[in-house]
Amino acid sequence: MTSLEELRKINARCIHCRACQYAYSNEPDREGADEEYTGMMLSCPGGNFYGWEGYFNSGRMWMARAFLEGDLKPSQEMLEVVEACTTCGLCAEQCTNYIDTVDIIEELRAAIIESGVEPLKRHKMIGDRVLEEDKRNPYNDPRSDRTAWHDGSVDDKNMKVAYYVGCTGAYRQQDVAKHTASILKKLGVDFTVLTEEVCCGSPILRTGQKDIFKIVMKENLEMFENYDLLVFSCAGCYRTFKVDYPRQSGKPLPFKVAHTLDIVYDLITEGKLKIEKPYNKKVTWHDPCHTIRHIGLAIEKAILEKSDNWLLDSRKAAKAKEAWYERPREVIRAIPGMDFREMYRIKGNSFCCGAGGGVKTQFPEVANDTARERVKEAAATGAEVLLTSCPFCITNFTDAVNALKKEEEETGKDLSAVGSKLEIVELLQLLDELLD
Amino acid sequence: MVEYNKVTDEVVKKLVAICGEKYVTDSEPLRYSYMARGIMGLEAVLPEVVIRPANTEEIRKILMVANDNLSPVTPAAGGLSGGFALPAIEPGGILMDLTRMNKMEVDTENRVMIVEPGVRCGDAWRIFKKKWPEWAPPIPDGAPPGATILGDAIERGFSLVTGRYGPQADMIMGLEIVLPSGELFRTGSWALDGAKAFYRWGVGPNPDGLFLGSQGSMGIITKAAVKIVPHPHFKTIVAYGGDSWEHIIEPAWEIGKYEMGISDNTVMVQGGNWPLVMTRWPKSNVPLDYKFYEKIGIDEYWMNSEVWAHSQEELDFTLKRIDEIYKDYEVKKKTVCKQQQLHPKQIASRLKKPNLIAVPYGLYEAGFLFITWYCPWLESSKMMEEYCAAMENYGFPPTMWVASIDHARQAIVMPILCFDSSEPGIYDKIREFNIETTKSFLKQGWINYRPDPFVHAPLTFSKSKEYYRMLVKFRKVLDPNLILHPGRLAIPWASVTDSPSPLEGE
Repeated sequence: MTSLEELRKINARCIHCRACQYAYSNEPDREGADEEYTGMMLSCPGGNFYGWEGYFNSGRMWMARAFLEGDLKPSQEMLEVVEACTTCGLCAEQCTNYIDTVDIIEELRAAIIESGVEPLKRHKMIGDRVLEEDKRNPYNDPRSDRTAWHDGSVDDKNMKVAYYVGCTGAYRQQDVAKHTASILKKLGVDFTVLTEEVCCGSPILRTGQKDIFKIVMKENLEMFENYDLLVFSCAGCYRTFKVDYPRQSGKPLPFKVAHTLDIVYDLITEGKLKIEKPYNKKVTWHDPCHTIRHIGLAIEKAILEKSDNWLLDSRKAAKAKEAWYERPREVIRAIPGMDFREMYRIKGNSFCCGAGGGVKTQFPEVANDTARERVKEAAATGAEVLLTSCPFCITNFTDAVNALKKEEEETGKDLSAVGSKLEIVELLQLLDELLD
Repeated sequence: MVEYNKVTDEVVKKLVAICGEKYVTDSEPLRYSYMARGIMGLEAVLPEVVIRPANTEEIRKILMVANDNLSPVTPAAGGLSGGFALPAIEPGGILMDLTRMNKMEVDTENRVMIVEPGVRCGDAWRIFKKKWPEWAPPIPDGAPPGATILGDAIERGFSLVTGRYGPQADMIMGLEIVLPSGELFRTGSWALDGAKAFYRWGVGPNPDGLFLGSQGSMGIITKAAVKIVPHPHFKTIVAYGGDSWEHIIEPAWEIGKYEMGISDNTVMVQGGNWPLVMTRWPKSNVPLDYKFYEKIGIDEYWMNSEVWAHSQEELDFTLKRIDEIYKDYEVKKKTVCKQQQLHPKQIASRLKKPNLIAVPYGLYEAGFLFITWYCPWLESSKMMEEYCAAMENYGFPPTMWVASIDHARQAIVMPILCFDSSEPGIYDKIREFNIETTKSFLKQGWINYRPDPFVHAPLTFSKSKEYYRMLVKFRKVLDPNLILHPGRLAIPWASVTDSPSPLEGE
């Protein structure tokens, strides 16, 4: 397991330059459509909302340092500040000192809780539910219903591929799970789902509840260890298995992992899959932090960890990261008829949807405010459809658009310029509809 | 030592009444979030309360409350002066986070912009790019986007055109200042009701110099009128190498001394040495023998000239003349100043404003400090030789940066101390290094630009006693209760420490 102490020296790289508060902090001349979307932009969800330095990563790094030096004692008040962060990783992308900001924030949360401070109320609630034998999910739904959405193979130990559905797919967005299962079937991937599957632990780890995380990680690793490949539809589960499990367990994964979009991407780029059906709409794409930026940063880090010459290899690492960021775009561009329009903040500089890191659960006002800013940015492209592939992004954007619609009804104002008419679409759903 | 009172609950209530509950906090975690040690300074004390005023009127009222309570006040916005953007004395008192005051007005006819303290360079650059692409705000070069224009200006800092126009303070056309008494006034022509900030020397003797470089220890600057500069779009970087500091400093002077013509086109002239590149990467993950640089043809010392021109023809002419001057110098000094072959990405990186070039030195060993000195341009090579030797002697890599100010009239010499901030005793070692070099440099008539209040300031003032006395007098007139933080200059000394005063022995 990692700890904040192990990150002490990485945390000490922070010189409090505050570049991490911006998207495109190193691209001041980036061209944009107007004054708002040009050059660098303040883009920290927590910091933008509260304004105090402690809600920006730059302030959090110095709180972590004070904590490590024993100057700042752990408290509920401190946890409240540290938890109001979506852990989107925009700050890590900006940091020219390569500080693993998300790791430090998550480990700081864990260290505060390990020192005896109770997790925040709603975070504790989801942690407790994940431990309850008859639930094992943060949604308070019965464990027995976990695979109720599925009419295919269940608990087949002879299969080589298992679909890790995740709690949101199993209980809240069954349509995404169904579309994913349908895509896999169309692509000829035989798979099974497991009724004993438990929460991946993503919201638990993000909110600092590491003891619970360790339990679910162990269970999942053991449960799936005999499969060759795990496929995912949930961005959070995928990131947790791919990045967190190896790091937190200290061992490589016993199976391969792939997001369903990875499989589609591979087939398209290998020329084995062609989408024929057109989608004649104006579309923009939101990069989910968990599958895009977090994985990109992990790729970059893995290259640098092996390097004895960062002067040269940092460029190679940055290229590999950029190539990862390009992958969903390759899939989107393979869809005929689509008028694809990029938002201003994209890829590593993408602005978060506002839901991650336990924020939607505990700080809904931050989540709403952030999602509204992002749908406004999407609307500024002139798109009709905001496409993404993450259950939390989908939920948060849908909530934001619904709130705008309600506001329109109440005030009679036309809010289409800020996103009230946007259709929020999961890319997996769209692909299923377009694939034969 | 001056006795200050703690910030009581009663004082916090008064501050809340001024700014509203949302903008006042005594939360311990939030107070710690403002801390910084490194970059420009190591001295930092935890503030007792942080307040985010919205306007000058709120600042006036806060200062009056602080005066009544005898609470020290430290203003900050970008906070990039490291520890020195924070309280440096006990108790920490009131930290004013001025980021909410971020209004900016631009007057292209009179070529001036008026900025509040919270206008960040990144934002100004973005807005100029779209609204006034033919003009540039004088943002600092090399500073991160969160640096503020006003912060840089009142620090007499370094801007993207300092090589041509001089220190940032020379760009000031007028200031709006609040004194600790709550009195508010403007300087220059701006002092006249309804007048524009068009003439710095305005309606009478100008006190700007008392406030520029004081880090807010004389009064809080709530607005500054700053010159904007033309932003021609034909730009490039040209670099020449040399085998010593002398051989990169002297040819740059040969260009600068012309002052007009090509010298005016070279808006930024700055140089360095191999370690300046190497220490931007982790010590354990970068080749330390410099063979790599030799292999790719980078000389051990080099000087960049950033050239701006209104046409390709003008740009080409300037580059040609620069090359001729270097060639003449080579013949005169029987040396080689090879033009460095810069990759287009290197050129683009240097032209980028604001950029993050100054940031990654924390990567080398997780801690760094910029120490800055001014000296006559042609003396800078001697300073850098001495500095590099001292750095190596103390076990620091000899990471050195130099830049021209005002057509190579002065040099800003900046050693970058890369150190491991978690190493026990490291701050004592840095202090010892600072004392040794400062004693030597002051003897040679060189001036520290960002003094450490416990090292550079007392050593400097012990050799400029009359000036120090005068500054103390001014300070006491403007701030009789000494509530404003003492800044880097530690004026008066008694507001900082009980240690012997620089005037000891008199």
